[in-house]
Amino acid sequence: MRLYLVPVMFFIAFSMALAGPCRAAQMTPYQIMKKSEDLLDQAKDSKSDMTMILINKRGSKRVRELISYGKNLDNGVKKALLVFKAPADVKGTSFLSWSFPGKEDKQWLYLPALARVRQISSASKGDSFMGTEFSYYDMGRHHLDDYTYKLLREEKVGDQMCYVIEATPKEKKYYGKVISWIRKDNFIPARMDFYDKNGRFLKQNMIKKIENIQGINTPMYMEMHNVQTNRTTIIKLSNVHYNIGLPDRFFTERYMKRGR
Amino acid sequence: MKIDHGGPKLGIIFILIWILSSPAAYAFNYEGLSFDGHLESRGIKPINSGTPKEDMSYELELDTERDLGSWGKFRIALRAIDDGKVIDPRNKHPFNTFNKVYQDRNPSINFDEAYIDIYTDRADFRLGIQKFAWGRLDEINPTDNLNTQDLTEFAFPEQSVRKIGAPAFKADIYSDLFNTEIAWIPRYVPYRLPTPEERWFPPILKPPTVVHSSSGDIPVTTHYEDIDLPAFKLSNSEIGIRISKYIKGWDTSISYFSGYDPTPLITGTTDITVELLDPSSFKTQIKTDAYVKPRLHRLQVFGFDFTNTIGKFTLRGEFAYYAGKYYSRKTEDIMREETTKEKQKEIMDKFMKNYFESGMKESRQVFHMNPDVEEKKNSMKYGLGLDYIRGDTNLSVQWIQEYIFDYDKSRPVYLNKNGVDTTFTISIKQLYLQDTLEIGLDGMYGVEFRQYLLKPYVTYSFTDNLKGTIEARILQGRYTDSAIGQFRDNDEVYLSMRYSF
Repeated sequence: MRLYLVPVMFFIAFSMALAGPCRAAQMTPYQIMKKSEDLLDQAKDSKSDMTMILINKRGSKRVRELISYGKNLDNGVKKALLVFKAPADVKGTSFLSWSFPGKEDKQWLYLPALARVRQISSASKGDSFMGTEFSYYDMGRHHLDDYTYKLLREEKVGDQMCYVIEATPKEKKYYGKVISWIRKDNFIPARMDFYDKNGRFLKQNMIKKIENIQGINTPMYMEMHNVQTNRTTIIKLSNVHYNIGLPDRFFTERYMKRGR
Repeated sequence: MKIDHGGPKLGIIFILIWILSSPAAYAFNYEGLSFDGHLESRGIKPINSGTPKEDMSYELELDTERDLGSWGKFRIALRAIDDGKVIDPRNKHPFNTFNKVYQDRNPSINFDEAYIDIYTDRADFRLGIQKFAWGRLDEINPTDNLNTQDLTEFAFPEQSVRKIGAPAFKADIYSDLFNTEIAWIPRYVPYRLPTPEERWFPPILKPPTVVHSSSGDIPVTTHYEDIDLPAFKLSNSEIGIRISKYIKGWDTSISYFSGYDPTPLITGTTDITVELLDPSSFKTQIKTDAYVKPRLHRLQVFGFDFTNTIGKFTLRGEFAYYAGKYYSRKTEDIMREETTKEKQKEIMDKFMKNYFESGMKESRQVFHMNPDVEEKKNSMKYGLGLDYIRGDTNLSVQWIQEYIFDYDKSRPVYLNKNGVDTTFTISIKQLYLQDTLEIGLDGMYGVEFRQYLLKPYVTYSFTDNLKGTIEARILQGRYTDSAIGQFRDNDEVYLSMRYSF
């Protein structure tokens, strides 16, 4: 999952493909992440369709369909817009975030029922995004320098050998730490474990399908399981497009209301 | 829907229900054409004894949108309701009209919105029936005066639903400096009130049934008349301009509105009939006919609003200055002026004079009275709101105040005490079970009138499409001539089941 593609989940920042395994072995974990960021920034903007499947502990499912837009600006500002398409009672709801390097994010929510755009505090980013196991923070966009990294070991996930990298936030706002299993063959994460601020295991993300789109390895299917609540959210991507020339004004109240 | 009319009426609503019960009728999206909506059944159970009972009501909303690609879209949102209203036999079609305050059709259909959007590089245009949303506060927006509201159920449902779409033209012009919204409403669309027989008709708009005078009690018969709309010409149109700018984290706007005051204002004239029953003893009978009619006044509003986040909170603010706003004077005060001994003597003297000048033929005479029922004042209304979101908990509080300049205590007006009216609102919402269960409380407290409205509720989503709500609506107030206090016998339990498609 791409930071700027679908503004979903910072764990992608820990995991994007590098030039090759031998080079990665010679790099520090931070250098790996920085390299990933540089690769991510190949695309200036992106658009994709997203399906979220919410599964509760009894196994019943609810489905959310969204369109996701993202853009990286030259000054390091990252912008993202999510627009809900289904179900009917949330259709037209949109979420806009502007992420500034070294500053608090700005976030807005548009609810069609109120017909007003509401600025929301980014201090609440650790909260669940629309009932999913992803938080607003996960759905936003992040900066690598907010974390320190450590290579723990190498081990298999399924039949894929992986590097295991621990990311510890410099300031424990949302997570205590995140451990990523990075596939050695393509440097895409296969698994990510999230720990809460008290150090307890919180949730696990499994990335089960990857596609190369316009030369960029893109996770297309993710399954986030919250071990504390026994709930799961699946995210499926489709119709992913990079570098489509989204203008800056796309990431404003005007397009939140327009819904596309 | 506020009285028992002897059983629910079916008609077209149920035909639509039947059609929609077919699996083939579920929402679809075909080549840019989308079709959404909901079907809702509602029940009301009044808590206080003695208030009218209500039938089940049904609502069907259909929202059709045609995406016209990068240059625009076309949308029609229809709302059909079967709610057990009083029916005027002269009604020939079910569509609510844009020229009446008292809408008495059942079933009724509203064009909530019906417009075409045209997008260009630097501007968006919207032409058709539309709703505007200005300001930053919730439910009470001092700067938001472009749409009137459907007040047939007082403050229910929420403001965005109560708003009546107006045929209008809107232009949103975007520049690097600021964004400008220009709205033009060629013809005022009146607010809606329930008919006087209904449960939510405001008691403060009802004249007394008897006037106590020095010569005895005088019976009053009230006649409710509908509004006279201003002539359809350019000078009677309404316009609004709002300029918005994002400044270092602050979303800010300034606005101007020139149009008709969307607040209900009722004026009354009175015909006093004096009839000589017995010429030998000069025994007379006096009756009064009161004619109550909505009245319009133009208004200018200068406003600004802002919002920003401060730590974990979102701060919202809104201010409006009203130049030349009319207020309704209190009935009791008007009656006191109109029923003085001097005025009664003046009428009787005129009656006797006419009687004798007519050769004792005019034994029944009508005197037309046009009391001064309004006060024109400059005023301002402003408020602040604070939101806090933590986990699945949402908390929002607001403080809103209205201040009337040069308030004359000897001529009191409704809904304001000594020139000030202060309201606090609170909204608490807690989500459970992945947002499927919502428990909340909405409340409002009026300081000067010691009145409050409480709405505790529980909503549960059985599926993505099916949602049920149970809500209590508790209204209380020390004074029966206050906004909420006048409905203190209207407590009710509200149940609804909504199927979205």
